[in-house]
Formats: sequence, structure tokens, C-alpha cells
Amino acid sequence: MRIAVIQFPGTNCEHETLAAARSAGLSGEIFRWNRPAEELSDFDGYIIPGGFSYQDRLRAGAIASKEPVMDALREEADRGKPIIGICNGFQILVESGLLPGLGGVNVALAQNVMVSKGEIVRRGFYCAWTTLRHEAPSKRCSGSFLLKKGDLVRMPLAHAEGNLVTVDEKLMERLNEENQVVFRYCSETGEVDGEFPVNINGSRENIAGICNPEGNVLGMMPHPERSSFAWQLPPTDSRKCVGDMNAAGPGRRVFESMKRYIEVRGC
Amino acid sequence: MLINLRVWLKIPDAEAATVKNTLRRRMGYEDVLAELGKERLWSIEVDETVADPGDLARRLARDLVNENKESYRASVDSVKFEEGYVPVRVGLSIEDGEAVSTLNRLRNRLGFDMVRGVERSVVWKLALSSAEPEKTAEEIAERLLVNPHKDFYEIVR
Repeated sequence: MRIAVIQFPGTNCEHETLAAARSAGLSGEIFRWNRPAEELSDFDGYIIPGGFSYQDRLRAGAIASKEPVMDALREEADRGKPIIGICNGFQILVESGLLPGLGGVNVALAQNVMVSKGEIVRRGFYCAWTTLRHEAPSKRCSGSFLLKKGDLVRMPLAHAEGNLVTVDEKLMERLNEENQVVFRYCSETGEVDGEFPVNINGSRENIAGICNPEGNVLGMMPHPERSSFAWQLPPTDSRKCVGDMNAAGPGRRVFESMKRYIEVRGC
Repeated sequence: MLINLRVWLKIPDAEAATVKNTLRRRMGYEDVLAELGKERLWSIEVDETVADPGDLARRLARDLVNENKESYRASVDSVKFEEGYVPVRVGLSIEDGEAVSTLNRLRNRLGFDMVRGVERSVVWKLALSSAEPEKTAEEIAERLLVNPHKDFYEIVR
């Protein structure tokens, strides 16, 4: 099973993302954005990693979303192949309309606005560990195929624009009804609280990750590749392990899910 | 009273170049978009009692403009752009945290008590060779310049 980790100018998480995917049993390579796009069809799945594609010019993800490689990815998505966008990758998928995948651009990932007790307490870039609650049923989504509803996953995030907003008031209802909300920010014990610091960036309904209606395309703001090995966990986490450098961390489940999805679907 | 500061880079504007290249090379505007420029626009509401708005604009510019790399032009109440391009103003339709911070800084740290409000936007200056330039500018705004879930745009006439 070969995956392509898409590298745009300004991407900066491609190497650790590929390492995390390999730790889950996938093979693959970094795929530069200006390679012939038709070569993408040789791969079984795709990851758009984090970073600052095109230096976030205009707005995060907007310029990369117009590259020919995204048209090719759209075709591969239509074939059912899995695509995971992480952080800037999520922003690119939103700007390209692949997420939430209802035709056109349905949401924006706006600047973080942290609210507590009715007041804005912080804005902009934020970097911290967070806990995600898996909201979708098992096997609903390629990147969380192996997770059960209600599972908690720890991973860090680092972004300035992850605040999911929309002017379509019916969209949230639809995303919830269709189980397209894959991850929500929650407390370490799993409670979803709309206020900072649990809702870490002010996102509507604490949304941290969504999938398309078919479930093969996932976008998420936190970084699973930064908690794919137990040694990456913070010192306060009892699962932290520095003896075995290959011991799994919680984020690896995202990449293991992608592998299992490919196996099951025969992509 | 509204003080407007149009601010642009004296050095090459990489963001404007990227947007121009994307429109021309990726989105089919090669024969339509002749040139593209970008300005930041600060719209600063101040007390009507300000006696010398020109002087106040100069003092505000000391904070809002880095003259090592930027130039600016100030005007009171209305903003007028040059001929030869379609000015498309883009701003946030959700709360603009940077504008809020700027207002706070001007009033509470720098002593500009007369400042009542700050709005920040970007003006994209599109030199277009289409039959209906304003219509083309609207199309470009909707296809690339804004995300309608957080931004608004207007053609400045």
C-alpha cells in the first residue's frame, strides 16, 4: 500500500507525516506538487500534511487549492481513495471544496477566537496538546476507520486559523445528521465544553475534524503525526515511553485506520 | 469623521504576485488580467471635533505604517482610487481580531483618545481587459479573493 504525501511550497510536516504513516505499515513517498498530476493515480491514498503552503498568502490553503494536483486529487477522491488533510492540509481541502464536500466552498477555517465566560480571552496562533473525541461511528471515515464512537485521542495542534465557521445555518445540522463530524475538541475525560481551553480555537460545535459524505476524505486541524510515537507524548502523559522508540502513540491510529481502510476497500 | 490610510509596499509584493500568477496561470485569466496590485486600507473613525485630521492621519501612520518598506496616502471621509483598474475591497465579515487589537492599542496604549473605531481591509486593484471589467472583478472575487463564510467584498466605485 503506497501513499503520497503531498508537498506544496511551504509545507513543513511532510517528513514526520511520512514517518508516522510508515510506522503504521504504509509505504509511500513525498510527492511534490509540480510533478505530473497523473502520476498520483499510482498511489492508494494521499495525505496533505501541515505547514504554510504558499506562505498562507491570501488566506490559508487558498492558493494551493487551485493547483492542478488538487484536480487530480479530486478525481482520486471520486474513485473512493482515502485522503487525509492535516492542519494546512485541512485548510486546503476546505478551500478546494473537497470538504465537507457538498458542492462549492461550504465552510471557512477562520482565525482562532478563544472565548471564556462570554469574553474573548485570546486570538490567533495557539500551540497545545488537546484531546479529541471521536464522534462518528466506527468505519465511517477513512482516517478514523479503527476508532469507535466516543474514543478519546490525544494529539497536539499548532495553528492560527482553525476556527470552523459557516454562514449556512443548516450545515451543522446536516454534518451532524450525516455523521460527517469526525472529531470534536473535548476535555481529557471526554466532556465537550464550548469554551476555551476545551474548545481550543473557538470552532463551531468544537469541531476538530470532518469528513466528506462518502467518508474517504478527512480533514483535521490537530497533528496525529506528532503523537504517533509514544516518545512524542508530553511528560505528564503516563503513556510516554522513551525506551522503545517505535512504541505507538495515540495518533498512530489515524494512519493505521487509513491502512485498514485501503485494505478493506481494495482502493 | 473617517480617516482612511491606503498603505502599499514599496518593495515587491510577493502576495500580490502569487495571486496574480494563480489567476493567470491556474484560473484562466491570462488574457484578461493585465496587472494586479494590493493595498491595505485602514478606515479609522475619529471624533468630529478633531481640528486637523491631516496631522492626526500622519500621527496614526507612525503606528500603522512602516515607512522603511511601505508608503501611504491619507484621505478624510471618502476614498478615491485612480483610474485604470477595478478596486475590490475585501474584509472580514466575522469579527476582525487585529482591528480590535489595533483600536485597543491606539486608544489605551498610545493615547489616541479621539479614535472611535478601526476597520481593516485589503484592496485588490485589478487591471482587466474584459468587456465588463466590474463583472469580471466580481467573478474573480468570488472564485478566489474571498471565502464567503468569513469575508465580504465590494467593488469600490
